[in-house]
Amino acid sequence: MNCTDLRDHYEFYALGLAEEPERSEIREHLDRGCEVCMLEIKRARDLVALLGGTPTPAAPSPKLRRRILASVGAEEPRRFGWSPFLAGATAMCLAAAVYFGGREWDFSRQVLVLRAQSRSQIIELTRLNEAFAILNGADTTVTSFGEKQPVPKGKLFVNPSLGFLMIASNLPQAPAGKTYELWLIPRAKGSQPVRAGTFQTDSNGAVMHMEHAAVDTASTAYVAVTMEVEGGVDAPTTKPVIVAPVGPALQ
Amino acid sequence: MLLLPILLAIRAAEGDAEIVLRLQRRESQALADLYDRYGRITYSLILRVVRDTGIAEDLVQETFLRVWNRVHAFDAQKGAIGPWLLAVARNRAIDYLRSAGGRERNAVEFEETDHPSLYTDMEPGILASDKARQVKAAVERLSVHQRQVIELAYFEGLSQTEMAQRMGQPLGTIKTWVRTALKTLRDELGATAVSA
Repeated sequence: MNCTDLRDHYEFYALGLAEEPERSEIREHLDRGCEVCMLEIKRARDLVALLGGTPTPAAPSPKLRRRILASVGAEEPRRFGWSPFLAGATAMCLAAAVYFGGREWDFSRQVLVLRAQSRSQIIELTRLNEAFAILNGADTTVTSFGEKQPVPKGKLFVNPSLGFLMIASNLPQAPAGKTYELWLIPRAKGSQPVRAGTFQTDSNGAVMHMEHAAVDTASTAYVAVTMEVEGGVDAPTTKPVIVAPVGPALQ
Repeated sequence: MLLLPILLAIRAAEGDAEIVLRLQRRESQALADLYDRYGRITYSLILRVVRDTGIAEDLVQETFLRVWNRVHAFDAQKGAIGPWLLAVARNRAIDYLRSAGGRERNAVEFEETDHPSLYTDMEPGILASDKARQVKAAVERLSVHQRQVIELAYFEGLSQTEMAQRMGQPLGTIKTWVRTALKTLRDELGATAVSA
């Protein structure tokens, strides 16, 4: 196919919707440095990139910045004893990248896949470490919820300084455009619930969700979950599907 | 006053170029600066796709690591790093959705972001908040079905066949909606999108 034949397919390609044979044709034109296709794809990507700025603005937890910097060895993680391992693993990834960088293209592609897996494992390890830190915290409390009803049920682990971990099952999947939102319910009457993150269940209706913000257990009575519109809301608008008390300390 | 947006765009581009050069020199503080500039928008995009705050943060971390490891291929003089960063973020998030849902991964899309040279020459201010508002307004002016197919494609990474199954519509109808929606967006936004 020539560039004229592909004219109507550049935006489909940029959006990931191009079908065969046009997708392979465009790819081939790009690989051989076709100036017309390079220009048109850049224009199409400009249009598609605009969509990336449209989601409702949301703020990640302040700890995420430190996690990212720690993962490239720029800043030591403060909370866990795994920093030498993480730094070592990252250094190994970088060393592997430098070593394999001079090899043939096929070989370097394999390295990229391995590095991606390694990064995923480091991230998963960090996540599990954070969960264990909450589970093993000296001042962590645990409560069960939903034990006398068919759905949903689970356990809530709260650590005043590390955050909380909620493990739940039998939750129906949120429909399109909806999400589950967590709330910290204050003990004081008249106080407003505090937003504490959003989550989705897996296909079995189960979830293991962590929030890393400190929890004032003295003034917090419950952790509740409601179903809200995507992106979350400032105050709960539906009846809670989970209400878990912030319980006594583990013995 | 008319020159203000242009001056702001030039300043943003200069800032991006400097960050890219520092990243290529492996200055970790540059990664902090990149995060301070694009962390929120990256998180917002990924959260919109995966709808779970914890998983979104993990994927943001993975996105910035990927950019850190691939930035040597980016030409700092030819464009802003933001669009490439968001493309990496979107692909990571959609890849997660596909894995979690047992759907086939799109290897071509996944590899595309390994070539940041294809993301140069983009308008520096493409992710500015006023531009985002224009885009949002343009998307909201689409018909319900046209908006739905664009969102399913961009935020969920569905193919046209998958959209047809999801929406219970013939494939030809889906293709028409996508084509019309893209043409409308291009007519409304295309001129500004390529005016760098």
